Amino acid sequence: MRSRPLWRLTVHGLLLLAGLVIVVPFLWIALTAFKERNEIFSLIPQWLPAHPTLQNFWGVLDAMPFWRYYWNTLVVAFGLLGVQLITITLAAYAFARMEFWGRDVLFILLLVQLMIAPQSTAIQNYVTIVNLGLLDTRLAIMAPYLASAFGTFLLRQTFKGIPKELEEAASLDGCGGLRFLAYIAVPLAVPGYLAFALVSLTYHWNEFFWPLVITETSKARTLTLGLGIFAQTAEGAADWTMLMAATLMVVAVPLLLFLVFQRRFINSFMQSGLGG
Amino acid sequence: MAVARPYLYILPTFLFLFVFTHYPILKTFYLSLFKWNLATPKMKFIGLGNYVQAWSTPLFWQVLQNNVLFAVGTIPISLALALVLALLINQKVRGLAIYRAALFYPTIIPMAAAAMIWLWILTPSYGLVNFYGKALGLPDIHWLGHSRFALAALILVGIWKRVGYYMVIFLAGLQVIPEHLYEAAILEGASPWQRFWRITLPLLSPTTFFVAIMAVIDSFQAIDQVYLMTQGGPGNNTNLFIFYIYQNAFRFFDMGYASAVSGILFLILLGLTVLAFRMLHRRVHYA
Repeated sequence: MRSRPLWRLTVHGLLLLAGLVIVVPFLWIALTAFKERNEIFSLIPQWLPAHPTLQNFWGVLDAMPFWRYYWNTLVVAFGLLGVQLITITLAAYAFARMEFWGRDVLFILLLVQLMIAPQSTAIQNYVTIVNLGLLDTRLAIMAPYLASAFGTFLLRQTFKGIPKELEEAASLDGCGGLRFLAYIAVPLAVPGYLAFALVSLTYHWNEFFWPLVITETSKARTLTLGLGIFAQTAEGAADWTMLMAATLMVVAVPLLLFLVFQRRFINSFMQSGLGG
Repeated sequence: MAVARPYLYILPTFLFLFVFTHYPILKTFYLSLFKWNLATPKMKFIGLGNYVQAWSTPLFWQVLQNNVLFAVGTIPISLALALVLALLINQKVRGLAIYRAALFYPTIIPMAAAAMIWLWILTPSYGLVNFYGKALGLPDIHWLGHSRFALAALILVGIWKRVGYYMVIFLAGLQVIPEHLYEAAILEGASPWQRFWRITLPLLSPTTFFVAIMAVIDSFQAIDQVYLMTQGGPGNNTNLFIFYIYQNAFRFFDMGYASAVSGILFLILLGLTVLAFRMLHRRVHYA
């Protein structure tokens, strides 16, 4: 028999080691963000800022249209989620509880979205967006994701689990069709909706490549893209403390939400598998 | 009316899906048959000309090789680490939630932020890695400017960013393995090592398979970190598929050629998925 205390200690030791490797890089940049600009050029690592300062954060607000990016990101992430909730609810309901000609083929055509890299259709989607006159708009950033195979798939599973008898009983009471969907099916699927919402919001908060392709000015740009663009400017590339402050400002809110609602986030991502 | 109802329900989804997913896939293959660039602004049909061009371009082969190296460097290590961490977390130790959060949080942050973090950590002279590297007697290395280490640095970032996510998927797989199998094995006197190889690993194989496919697709989608950390350099040593497509489409405006490369990427991923599913049917045990 294995000695249990020793085994526990080993488990803790290994997890602690792995955890440190993952956490320390973030800790290092978080501390850097509070340092004075010259302090980082010392030849011995100074972990704690000698003179903690908020100067870098104010600098970021001056150097890039941070609040504009923030607003754009909120509009894109939540606006998109709003549309997705409608499209996935209707489609998932049809696929889960209705019989119709061509259903299985259509379902496979839906799943195609999960199998392709969204980046590989970026060129043609760029051409489409230009033709629609939507270049450099927030709507363009949302457009390729308005339908979600992942969301539809997730909800379909939930809707399938609702007993047939419940629907029949509701129908007899005059609560059929869309009313059944709105008053019975949707409330029963709240956990599925939450999981989808967290994954979708995170994915679109973080997205970089498509917004990069489809925007030209800060008019529609989102935070993550703004951070990347800032890093490529002379100012951003030359000033590590300011760049780290900007990074911290971009991730702060999602990260805090994650720390508070850890279990919910992780469960949602467990279900996500194939991403947003 | 009743017949049309389901179609009305799926209409919004399929409208968007057609415009932004199905049509672009078909159009990518269509465009790939044309010469369409700055020198030829009016599209000209050239058949498989763009594919022939890719075949005879050394850079195309280098990009393919880079991407394969990137996948081979990232996937086995991430998967092995993720599995070990999932097994450790699954021991239900005290402080589990803290460990899990610490390992998972890189999933929540943007790859662009991860790129910023590692740019600073890997920076020459003042970066954390070089600080402690020098303490161990290593030379001061310009990781991202080095022809051999730059890709390794991207691999490192890829592992760091994804290992927690894969761990959580493994964890989900571990939790559905029936407890009574272990109990029976313990009664039969099986060692923990035997239990792992005879029960855990075989019953986990659908999950492993799933994570592996996801990881392959991930590795062929990598672009943010390439764009932000190396721009494909030095000397195209970190130029990966999507970045190569991006360069050709949006920097050189060679839309026809970029479409052909997109088409090839699409076929590679499709081929890998089909291959993987065949293996699944032959090898994987179902719980």
